[in-house]
Amino acid sequence: MVAAIEIDGLTKRYGDVTALDGVSLSVPEGSFFGLLGPNGAGKTTFINILVGLARKSGGEARVFGHDIETEYRAARDRVGLAPQEFNVDRFFPIREVLEHKAGYHGIPSPEARQRADEALKQVGIYEKRDTRFDWLSGGMKRRFLIARALVTDPDLLILDEPTAGVDVQLRHDLWELITDLNEGGTTILLTTHYIEEAERLCDEVAILDQGRVVTVATPGDLMDRGTDRITVTFRDPIRSTPSIAAGNGQVEAVEIRDGRLVVSASQGGLVAPELVRELDAAGYEIVDLDVSRTSLEEVFVELTRSDSSVTEEGTA
Amino acid sequence: MSRPTVQLRTLVRREILRFVRRPYNTFLPPIITNTLYFAVFGVILGSRIGSIAGVSYIQFVLPGLVVLGSISDAFENASFSIFHGRWNDYIDAVIVTPMSNLNMVASYVIASAIRGIVTALLIVGVGLVFTSVPISHPFYLAANVLVITTLFGGLGIIGGLWADDFDYLTVMNQFILRPLVFFGAVFYSLSVLPPLWRQVSLLNPMVYMVNGVRYGMIGVSEVDPNTSLAVLSTATVAVLAADYLLFRRGYGLTE
Repeated sequence: MVAAIEIDGLTKRYGDVTALDGVSLSVPEGSFFGLLGPNGAGKTTFINILVGLARKSGGEARVFGHDIETEYRAARDRVGLAPQEFNVDRFFPIREVLEHKAGYHGIPSPEARQRADEALKQVGIYEKRDTRFDWLSGGMKRRFLIARALVTDPDLLILDEPTAGVDVQLRHDLWELITDLNEGGTTILLTTHYIEEAERLCDEVAILDQGRVVTVATPGDLMDRGTDRITVTFRDPIRSTPSIAAGNGQVEAVEIRDGRLVVSASQGGLVAPELVRELDAAGYEIVDLDVSRTSLEEVFVELTRSDSSVTEEGTA
Repeated sequence: MSRPTVQLRTLVRREILRFVRRPYNTFLPPIITNTLYFAVFGVILGSRIGSIAGVSYIQFVLPGLVVLGSISDAFENASFSIFHGRWNDYIDAVIVTPMSNLNMVASYVIASAIRGIVTALLIVGVGLVFTSVPISHPFYLAANVLVITTLFGGLGIIGGLWADDFDYLTVMNQFILRPLVFFGAVFYSLSVLPPLWRQVSLLNPMVYMVNGVRYGMIGVSEVDPNTSLAVLSTATVAVLAADYLLFRRGYGLTE
């Protein structure tokens, strides 16, 4: 199967500044792929190169097997983009803006109108079809950008911070919409600052930092790389740290907090049963156990903390 | 209808609707301005000037006013549309589509030429209120109007891609285009100039445009009409080629 996006050694320089530094990754067709990274990591530059709004300085990029420069028309025909910025034609009502967008993709006028209506209904702003973009609320503007990306029925939907600044209800509505699209076969490339969003939606995420891919993995795999916390509460609070042999090297730290035992370990869920057995055998009376998994956010912060975190794991 | 045709038609239609739906901003100004020109230069001053090249002064200035209005609007249409799209980033919605660069250039130029031609017809309409409008050589008239509006639509694209601010558009239209047209023998005959200034005037491309249209309307030209048309056509092809190369390179459009 041809990958939806295939990137090899992609580089983008602005004078002395390197925005993308040899990025390589592959996004499988039909997947829900997240692109995470702090501000200035190169996420939007990456997207802009894919859709023709920025020119690469080096490397290769293909969309469904089509080179983004030599076969730009075929590549762009498969893509729908909902950008971070509100870059909408203010001269026309939103339905006409969608009709124009469909027309630019070669969709004849009657079908373009039908698709425009469907896209507006899909995102729930059909009743605003004769309104100009400026008169929409912030949430409706965000919905409209997604409608514009959907009007051409793209095989690859690129969403650049789609839920930035929207309320919780709308965020959940948009999650539901894009999840449905993905289940229908549309490949999704999502950039987001909300780690919860990536954790909840994405099959796989790439973490980008300072123009380089730090890692590509499933959210679950990433979280396994973090440190979990096991908190054990005893009937009688303890004052000295017991000797812990459990965990087979996975235990990173043991400490006492307010009479409770706090054990930091990778894959804490696996360590906990062994720990309980060991403490029980040593005569400790356990009344409560809590295993707190590391969050994707903590892993993200750890991976993007410093230059030294950059590894050679760029190629997925 | 083929996909490229649908794409072209969509962008041309979008561009035309943009100016048709704002008549106070697009069509009314040339009507008012040219009414004033005809009233002042044609009727009030013209009656004292008498005839030039065998026609009344008002008929003599009419072709020049047609050129002035049509090329200004053709230029303004493309330059504003592209610059405004860049300024507000909505031109991105065109760039990210599968439209070819050639198709995009053609769309902006066609719409701008249509705007220029509509303006030319409006000015002729205003002229008809004040005088009769002779059409001596319809082919030359149509060909010249078509070529100059296309040329300035093409130049408008370059202006729109080059501009970094609204000031740039003003500079191009008011400080470059307008003076060239005013010194392009719109309101006077080259024969009234001293020999040196007559030769200098011949370096002004507007002279050829004004004379081309004047030849088509009143049958009088101070330069060879075929030479004018050939030079202007060549310039138009060169400008369109430049437009295409700029789009292909992404000048002013991509990072």
